[in-house]
Amino acid sequence: MNEILDQYFDVGLMADNFDAVLEGFWITVQLSVIAGVLALLWGLLLAVMRQLPGRPLLPVRLASVAYIDVFRGVPLLIVILLISGSLPFLPLPEALRIPRWFGKPDPFWYGVMALTITYGAYMAEVYRAGIEAVPAGQTEAARSLGMSHGQTMRHIVLPQAVRKVFAPLLNDFIALMKDTTLVSVIALNEVALVGRDIQSSDFNSSALTLGALMFLAVTLPLARLVDRLITRERGRFSRTSPRGAA
Amino acid sequence: MAGEPILQIEDIHKRFGDLEVLRGVDLAVEKGEVVCVLGPSGSGKSTLLRCINLLEPPEKGQIYLEGRDVCKGADAPSGEAGWHADFLRQRIGIVFQQFNLFPHRSALGNVTLAQEKALGRSKAEAEEKACSLLARVGLGDKVDEYPERLSGGQQQRVAIARALAMDPSVMLFDEVTSALDPELVKEVLDAIRELADEGMTMIVVTHELGFAREVGDRIVFMDEGRIVEEGPPAQILDSPREERTKRFLGLVLER
Repeated sequence: MNEILDQYFDVGLMADNFDAVLEGFWITVQLSVIAGVLALLWGLLLAVMRQLPGRPLLPVRLASVAYIDVFRGVPLLIVILLISGSLPFLPLPEALRIPRWFGKPDPFWYGVMALTITYGAYMAEVYRAGIEAVPAGQTEAARSLGMSHGQTMRHIVLPQAVRKVFAPLLNDFIALMKDTTLVSVIALNEVALVGRDIQSSDFNSSALTLGALMFLAVTLPLARLVDRLITRERGRFSRTSPRGAA
Repeated sequence: MAGEPILQIEDIHKRFGDLEVLRGVDLAVEKGEVVCVLGPSGSGKSTLLRCINLLEPPEKGQIYLEGRDVCKGADAPSGEAGWHADFLRQRIGIVFQQFNLFPHRSALGNVTLAQEKALGRSKAEAEEKACSLLARVGLGDKVDEYPERLSGGQQQRVAIARALAMDPSVMLFDEVTSALDPELVKEVLDAIRELADEGMTMIVVTHELGFAREVGDRIVFMDEGRIVEEGPPAQILDSPREERTKRFLGLVLER
């Protein structure tokens, strides 16, 4: 029984390797935040492109739809491998082929790119749901006041849409954070790779368990926050029917 | 009330799929005139208003506003792109049945936004205008409230102020009291009546016969996508010529 417990929860081993695992987790956090913010922005851009009006902009809409369909359907791991294994050999400036911006190693930035590309597609779908949940009357009111499509999007539709989908976006961020561990396959020293190295040298999994606990320390509060936001949003909806309206 | 009509529409047609909602509507409105549109549901009266400010661009027909041809011409693209929509919408205000206030902006924010964005007014100028209009519809003390904290009647009056802020030459009212509790109808009708007294040109789609009789200069009765008959309120309401008008008024007055 003790052997089983020690395999996962060897406290001495955890203490010895705490700094190394935490260092790995710090890279995980940085990767998550940078890729998360970029994916939020890229997803918003994709969603707005998908809503552009008029016949001349049809190619832009189609391109956006195609992109979203493709990258929702391709595994993140394959995107990571495609980028890290191809960029260095493309005829591009050195800073793009082997990016080492802000003192971070190139696998870090390949990871940021792959996560942004893939999660941008997921988040675009979330934004779209939010945009479509804004009643048509809102757009009609804004357009009838002489505001352009762009002004209506920027000042009327998006502020309401983003508020509606804040919780699902946060959910996607939690998923993104967990998926950063996939970047370990291209030798980024994030928390999973640090844990795995210790696991294979010590034949003990406690460092990986420690990494998992660090994840939970962040993801559990975030999940609770999502729940609270959803409850609050429901409360808001129940109050939307105006008092005094039949 | 002779002279050039401020708004003139000719032979407006609109269909949704197989359903022909408007089958050739002509209407000319003089400056300062209040035209009330009556008709059974599905007669096309709301669609007519939505065609006039191009929320639903008509397939066929002409619109002239302040003497200007709003259609870009025979070879213009179909849909909204074929019309001078920005010009038209900035000159024509519309108030909807469901208010459609912007829930994330206060009453003041609702009235200032389009002034700043579409007309390029300064924030101070827009706020001054908004405050005076909100006071005019009796909401001077509700300037900072958000729509969800206002009653239906108050929301609808904010919507009226919001449309007026653009200094429209014509106002359209689309069954603006139909979503209101009975005790809130009067405050909204009073606001519209005041506008009429001040000489605003209006087309009012309504089921309030008393209001149409009192405020309207002319009543237009629509059925099945056409104007069946029109004339002074007393004549249409008391001695309609057409069988369909009689039947409709009979059903409404029976209630």
